[in-house]
Amino acid sequence: MTPPEPTAADNAQVPNVIGYDLDTARSQLSAAPSAASAEAPLLEMRGIGKSFPGVQALRDVSLSVRRGEVVALLGENGAGKSTLINVLSGVFGHYDGTILLDGEPVDIHTPADAQRLGISTIHQELNLVPDMTVADNIFLGRERRSAAGLVDRRDTNARARALLERVGLTVSPRRLVRQCRVAEQQLIEVAKALSLNTRVLIMDEPTSALADAEVRRLFEVIRSLTADGVAIVYISHRLEELEELADSVNVLRDGRWIGARSMRGASRDELIRMMVGRSVADLPRRPADARPTDEQPRLSVRDLHLDPDPRAGRVGLNGVSLDVRPGEIVGLAGLMGAGRTETLEAVFGAYPARAFRGSFLLDGRPYQPHSPKQAIRRGVVLVAEDRKQQSLVLDASVKFNTSLAALGRYLSFGWVRGRRERAAVSDEVRRLGVKTSGINTRVGTLSGGNQQKVVLAKWLLTDPRVILLDEPTRGIDVGAKSEIYELVNALAAQGVGFVVASSELPELLRMSDRIVVLSEGRVTAEFDAEHADQEQILEAAMGRRSVIARTS
Amino acid sequence: MTTPPDISGRQPASSADDPVGTEVTAGATGGNPVPDGPAGGPVRRARRILPLLGSLQGYIGLVLIVLIGIGTQGGRFANVDNITNAIGYFAPRGILAVGMTLVIIAAGIDLSVGSLLAVGSTAAAWLLTDANWPVVAIVPACMVIGAVFGLANGAGTGLLRIQSFVMTLAMMTIARGIVREFSNNTSIGTVVIGSNGELAPGSAQFQKLGTPGARLFGGDVPLLGYFPVLALVVVVIVFQLVLTRTRFGRHVYAVGGNPTAARLSGVNVTAVTIAVFTLSGLLAGLAGPISAAYNASADPQAGLGYELDAIAAVVIGGASLAGGRGSVVGTFIGALILTLLDNVLGLNSVSANWQLIVKGLIVVVAVVIQRPELFSELAAWLRRTLHRSPAGAARG
Repeated sequence: MTPPEPTAADNAQVPNVIGYDLDTARSQLSAAPSAASAEAPLLEMRGIGKSFPGVQALRDVSLSVRRGEVVALLGENGAGKSTLINVLSGVFGHYDGTILLDGEPVDIHTPADAQRLGISTIHQELNLVPDMTVADNIFLGRERRSAAGLVDRRDTNARARALLERVGLTVSPRRLVRQCRVAEQQLIEVAKALSLNTRVLIMDEPTSALADAEVRRLFEVIRSLTADGVAIVYISHRLEELEELADSVNVLRDGRWIGARSMRGASRDELIRMMVGRSVADLPRRPADARPTDEQPRLSVRDLHLDPDPRAGRVGLNGVSLDVRPGEIVGLAGLMGAGRTETLEAVFGAYPARAFRGSFLLDGRPYQPHSPKQAIRRGVVLVAEDRKQQSLVLDASVKFNTSLAALGRYLSFGWVRGRRERAAVSDEVRRLGVKTSGINTRVGTLSGGNQQKVVLAKWLLTDPRVILLDEPTRGIDVGAKSEIYELVNALAAQGVGFVVASSELPELLRMSDRIVVLSEGRVTAEFDAEHADQEQILEAAMGRRSVIARTS
Repeated sequence: MTTPPDISGRQPASSADDPVGTEVTAGATGGNPVPDGPAGGPVRRARRILPLLGSLQGYIGLVLIVLIGIGTQGGRFANVDNITNAIGYFAPRGILAVGMTLVIIAAGIDLSVGSLLAVGSTAAAWLLTDANWPVVAIVPACMVIGAVFGLANGAGTGLLRIQSFVMTLAMMTIARGIVREFSNNTSIGTVVIGSNGELAPGSAQFQKLGTPGARLFGGDVPLLGYFPVLALVVVVIVFQLVLTRTRFGRHVYAVGGNPTAARLSGVNVTAVTIAVFTLSGLLAGLAGPISAAYNASADPQAGLGYELDAIAAVVIGGASLAGGRGSVVGTFIGALILTLLDNVLGLNSVSANWQLIVKGLIVVVAVVIQRPELFSELAAWLRRTLHRSPAGAARG
């Protein structure tokens, strides 16, 4: 239950910069969950270590979880959370240390081992087959068969329906997963885990793609699971969520176990300090004097209409107008499906010309966003929502990705000048503080925050006038977040105009000068970020739903 | 075990003084040297360039085959004429493989190259014997014809969004049908005897494109003086440079690696797709006359199954059919492995049937030993084995 005593060497290695006392943490941990403390832990990991060639990803990490408890794992990207849950879910064949389940030592060398022991994992990237039905996905690999050896549809669907009911989902088991929304898919994964008689459920950033109402529903499901005695290991960057949901929180940093806290009474500042090893005050709001004075808009969008495309999951826009002045940061708020991403992508020219109409002015001159190529040439760039799918060639190097959009600048007589390209890329990588062993490192091996910086570096090499940011800090640790905010402020000070879409309202309030609220593809409100509060924005985001429902 | 730089590079003391990073450059102050800059030393330069030249495993395989050849046949294998002829014989397929490399890196496949070779070879023979064109005009003409077919492949995949496997499968049968119809199912001989009883001058020129023993520069330059070898080497060098040093080459990798990211980075994905198929057709058109000259005739059945040899060379060369990975030099090494393997087996009187079996096995082995994660998996296996021994356990 208590983690092993650190050796002298361990204490020497952990930089005690924050004055954080490990012994205090441990005594608090053992005193923390008072209600369940009499009970032995269901799952206990002791001295877990995992190394890859050249990298010690985890070192002496311990974790214990009781029945019906929600234990949160907190840490910056690259802290070792994913490695730890991969050990637990059998992704790695080998690890150091011991895992005890119900007090018995167990070996978890394959995902099948984990499944047999009742340990299920819901990864951040969902593992469902899009073109199979909900029921078939739930029973994938364990298909219900009739006496004749054929798949028993009726039984499959009936059982699936019962499981879906348990997670509060009303979708038909016969529906294709492709047609379900992300939040629904998340709950389908939970239903699948339930069908496996799961005793320990690991959830990696389950809310990163969900809107607030959907998060609430997921939490209800989690609470009902814990009431049934399921233990939950929960990974999230959102401290507000952990405050609401978790019983205790374990902090990892640089592959080491830093400490545990009972969630009750733990302060955010303290947790953040444990995570980053330095003190991060509440992130600053954008200073009022940084805001641009009245000027001609850099980008002006009028009456943007976009046809919806349900197959691609694209919602329509019904007349969006907005202005961005040089040096201004405009926030785009709205619920899921309000049209934030669609607005940005339309301005970037990501949609075929026949799908949208509207008038655009860039620095007072007409602008027709008919292709990303054209948009980039005019100085409009998009940091897309999904880094891995939309922004990066993961197999290629940092250099390849960074120079991809600006290669034309390093050509002479059609040949890429390697030296000039490397110099430009190195400069940009250094300026943004991308943590990489070199510019020839594969981008896929970097952490989320560093990947996002590579995406930003790519666009900065094109000298943009307007940068469209779609969920710029999704899945990024606190430290990298504040670095990105600072970078955006610095670029705005140089006259770059920004449009930022984010589903995290505090982030929008912090980053923006002005917040434009979308609902059902229309602008429903506009606020000065200084005087707006979350409640007002949320109200505007949910407003006029019934009126607009007709048109969509 | 070395500590990775992103851990050792964190300097908490200085970071604590600078809580939120008041400068944009804050992240870079934490001791993050970014090597491989302009001042990179020779070792770094080598580490940058070597991956572009195929994999170490490929070179080891090649050396092994050469050693086996010398070991079993000695001078019969290791003489310039034997090697020249072996490479020259394989050259048309090698040239197809270069085009195939481009297509495969862009995450496509081109099954039509064998048929397009037949188109090029028949066109060359017809232009030579019926139209009396000079050789210098025949070769470019065949390349243009091949490129037109390739363009059709590209248009089908890029514009009509037909999967390249399906589009080029269709083109494979269409082009074959066209050749057979045009030639009335008969082969056209390229050896034309003039009225004086000697080889006609045009025909004599044409034979230099591929006939064993025919040298471009008299008898002095054995290897590169043999046109098929020269053509293959030039094509390899040109396309290696195009892939690694031009914007188009980068775009090919980007389209194969992640088409969405490529499009959103301003890459014209459709144009790149059309271009790689056109280039593949162009190279098939070049391979046609060489093949016709080698066989001294253009057979409408020429090039049957060549697309599979080309794909094998590309795969042995380290490319992934999933796209985004591969190199022309790697393909060249792959083609050499296939060529010399055939040659060594032939010299040792291994039957053609067994040659096929061995070739297939080589492809499988090559793919397995070139997995990027191979070494880490081996290391993990080693560690696991060591872990069971007492010495290993004490380490934990």
